[in-house]
Amino acid sequence: MTTGTARERPPKPPPTEELVLKRNPVERLKREKSPLGILGELPQLIATGYADIPEEDIVRLKWWGLYHDKPKVGTFMLRIKLNAGRVTPAQLREIGEISNAHGKGAGELTTRQTIQLHYLDLPSLPDVFDRVAAAGLTTAGACGDAVRNTTGCPLAGVAHDELFDVSPLLDEVATFFYGNPDYSDLPRKHKISISACAHRCNAPEINCISLVGALRDGEPGFGVLVGGGLSSVPRIARELGVWVPYAEALEVLRAILDAWKEDLRYRVSRVKARLKFMVDDLGPEGMRAEVERRLGRALADFTLPPHPGSDTTHLGLTPEKRDGHSSIGIPVNVGLVSGDQMIAVANLAEEVGGDVRVTRHQNLILTGVPNARIEQTEAAIEAIGFPLDLNPVRGGAIACTGEPHCNFSVTETKTRLDALLDHLETRFGNAIAELRLNLDGCPHACGQHWVGDLGFQGSTARDEAGTRHQAYEIYVRGSMGAVAAIGRPVFRRVPTYELDRTVAGLVAGWLDGRRDGEPFAAFATRLSDAELGVLAGRPPSTSSRRTDDTDDDQGA
Amino acid sequence: MSTVDLLDDYEAGELSVEFEGQEPWDVLEWAIERFGDRLALSTAFQDGDVALIDMAYAIDPSVRVFSIDTGRLPQETHDLIEQLRDRYPGLNLELYSPEALQVERLVRRHGPNGFRRSVENRLLCCNVRKVQPLNRALEGLDAWVTGLRRDQWASRSDIRKVEIDHDHDAIVKLNPLAEWTEEEVWDYLRDNDVPTHGLYAKGYSSIGCAPCTRPVAKGEPVRAGRWWWETDAPKECGMHCAIETGGFEHELHAILGAKAHG
Repeated sequence: MTTGTARERPPKPPPTEELVLKRNPVERLKREKSPLGILGELPQLIATGYADIPEEDIVRLKWWGLYHDKPKVGTFMLRIKLNAGRVTPAQLREIGEISNAHGKGAGELTTRQTIQLHYLDLPSLPDVFDRVAAAGLTTAGACGDAVRNTTGCPLAGVAHDELFDVSPLLDEVATFFYGNPDYSDLPRKHKISISACAHRCNAPEINCISLVGALRDGEPGFGVLVGGGLSSVPRIARELGVWVPYAEALEVLRAILDAWKEDLRYRVSRVKARLKFMVDDLGPEGMRAEVERRLGRALADFTLPPHPGSDTTHLGLTPEKRDGHSSIGIPVNVGLVSGDQMIAVANLAEEVGGDVRVTRHQNLILTGVPNARIEQTEAAIEAIGFPLDLNPVRGGAIACTGEPHCNFSVTETKTRLDALLDHLETRFGNAIAELRLNLDGCPHACGQHWVGDLGFQGSTARDEAGTRHQAYEIYVRGSMGAVAAIGRPVFRRVPTYELDRTVAGLVAGWLDGRRDGEPFAAFATRLSDAELGVLAGRPPSTSSRRTDDTDDDQGA
Repeated sequence: MSTVDLLDDYEAGELSVEFEGQEPWDVLEWAIERFGDRLALSTAFQDGDVALIDMAYAIDPSVRVFSIDTGRLPQETHDLIEQLRDRYPGLNLELYSPEALQVERLVRRHGPNGFRRSVENRLLCCNVRKVQPLNRALEGLDAWVTGLRRDQWASRSDIRKVEIDHDHDAIVKLNPLAEWTEEEVWDYLRDNDVPTHGLYAKGYSSIGCAPCTRPVAKGEPVRAGRWWWETDAPKECGMHCAIETGGFEHELHAILGAKAHG
């Protein structure tokens, strides 16, 4: 990179356990008391009362999916894991009931295909956890230094065009990793995605490990991507270059995780703890060598075929493998689902004999709908409050949790994205169906602003009178799929009251000036910052970055 | 509108990775070179804050330092300021005071010690006496330096040495001491004979306004040392320099809403 002027240092000796514990308070916290055990202490924590619970124990609660709500005066967010977004009607109904009983009926679908509840107070937690467990669900490792929710194609096992069914592997992986003490003291969070979707819909480019389904001589198996991830230091995953037969998938996942979790270099600082930094250090070749060393055998060479570049949202109707059945993709505006809506969708799914899936675009899919009942089912879905004729731009749009729940968010998120979509829809209608908008309230990038066609990150800016306003940085040139790339903020500190106009200028410029149906990212990449500034009606932010610094953002 | 060449989040992220394992003065040296007089150290005269002053002054004696004189600081804080002025000749220290009109209105409405009566009143007081002056101090800066450390609070273990401060107009925020432990800070202070706050010797664990802080006995929770009379106060507020995390302002807005602006 070009920005760094920090002095070159001689390489340091590998860190000792002592240094790890000295430098990293979370490593100390985990050694002192395993976070997995904290659930058993709920009665004592409730007796102690929220205000007097040591913050260390609040941190440990993350391992069971709990985070402080905002303000930090006693309520929590709970993240419920759903393996690749799969949830049975009975389970979804119970989540809705829990939300209504303890969480003010709030709920949201997340980009890792989980469901999050809010407003849960401490005394409600024993009941909440009892009901989650009784429903056959878990929150173990939903947050914290553990294997997070495994993502995948929400139509796994169902879609007519999937390469093969990865559902048994998804189950095997969840059973092995979730709540496993050996994989719940990782250097940091770990994200796995597994899919054999024909559209590679599951964002394999931005997971720690992605098993990307492929066929080799007709046999099912996987190519492997490693070291992707967004957050504050984004990386597009790099290809390990190996073939993993289906039956060996779990073994290879373990070998990669072991290589990382046992290397103390990735425990000294949480800033450098994610797998992506190990891949930075070793390169994909070095990483492969380490994995093969641990497996005790070489893996066959394999390069994934190019990304198909097709739509990844699974909205609308998808024919299923099972004759005479279809899945209905349901756009959920900015991912918000009330407890009552969860219960209603669950009842409907049960009635048609289907299942429910949560997608990474924060939508729902109803599977197993008999073709003869599609129209009737669609009407029922609309009656629940999910219009199916929404402009697809809404189905593809993503906003993070943000206001009012998240302590990190600087700005409105879901509500602001909704208003921006209103503005763009009115002006451009279906011409922007394919445009992908990702909005985040902070740099943690839960809403993946680095890889949207237009990414937005919350910030603040002062007007000429010195009054501070919510503002957004506008990221362009990011994308997922066939040409995955990390975007950069070309327009910064755009006050919220100027956002609609600025974005509309860029979109109009793209629709007018694109060549041969060029996607937005390609268009924005072809234009200079100054040219984009003319379209946006405001000067681009100047920065030293636009020199030769493209290695990291273009990584394979 | 400023068109100054500032870091964006991508650059800040890469730098934060690069600076891991490096010493606080490495970060300061880079920052002083890069931002010059558009950079200032924020100080509440806590242990890490004075260590940073010592380090930065050694790199550039004209480095800007600012603090908020809330009007309710203990005598020991002002004594320390004088000591620092003697120890670092020409120290470029700016003290920001709250707006007189705001203080007068606050005291007229809630009395001089209104902060004792409710969390909301106390937050209003913090807002007038600390948050608003901080915002004034940051106006016009491209970068500021804090004494935040990962070992101060369990939920603060992920802070980076280089961040973009989106709570404050997306200027750069530097936390050079992020990696250090309290022990390392005190070793540094002793080794370099840096003047420290007199209240540490009297059992205080965190330094703030006189009426709102008190000594903490061994084994007592940190919370006992600041706003000990409150119930249902937001967690973290008051734990060391929470005001510098931005989290304080988020809580303030969540609890006070529009009143936070007045």
